[in-house]
Amino acid sequence: MTVYVLLVLVMIFCWLGALGMWRMREPMQALHYLSLPACGGTIALTAAVFFQTGNSQAGWKTLLICLVLLGINSVVTHASAQAFRSRALGHWQPRPGDPVEFVHEKSQQ
Amino acid sequence: MNFWLLTGMVVSATLVPCADMCLRGSAERRLVGLEMTSLIITIALVLFTIGFGRIPFIDLPLALSIMSFGGGLVFARFLEKHL
Repeated sequence: MTVYVLLVLVMIFCWLGALGMWRMREPMQALHYLSLPACGGTIALTAAVFFQTGNSQAGWKTLLICLVLLGINSVVTHASAQAFRSRALGHWQPRPGDPVEFVHEKSQQ
Repeated sequence: MNFWLLTGMVVSATLVPCADMCLRGSAERRLVGLEMTSLIITIALVLFTIGFGRIPFIDLPLALSIMSFGGGLVFARFLEKHL
């Protein structure tokens, strides 16, 4: 029963991520939906594999896949967002009128 | 058909919106679609591996997850500087 619940969670996370990405107009917004299957989906999948197969090679390799996806998703998402901003502005440094707060390298006093 | 294969099929169906993202729109949207596609395919390959009981094939999604990292970074850098 636990395996079924976890697999349903995998389906939900994947569909929410794909549909959310599909619905967003801006690529920067769509980028955020990568985290749903990458984090929730892979964690639920790893738990399901461990429940199904126990202490096995498949379980540990799925855990490795989960850790790889968790690690690289943040890096690739950051690199993609930086590329989008650089492509639009010519640079990716913060501008004074940007609607979000940035941590500047030098404190402005 | 067991529940793992059913889950793999349902998860694979999310490749339709991913394909729409990859085939239409701006280059940025296509890159996001590509990254989501690699994620979805990795998860689907794990599901099919367990579903079919071919445990050694779990190396395929492991290799894909590692290689998609390099692919995503290369495409992002290419998009930033050359496209």
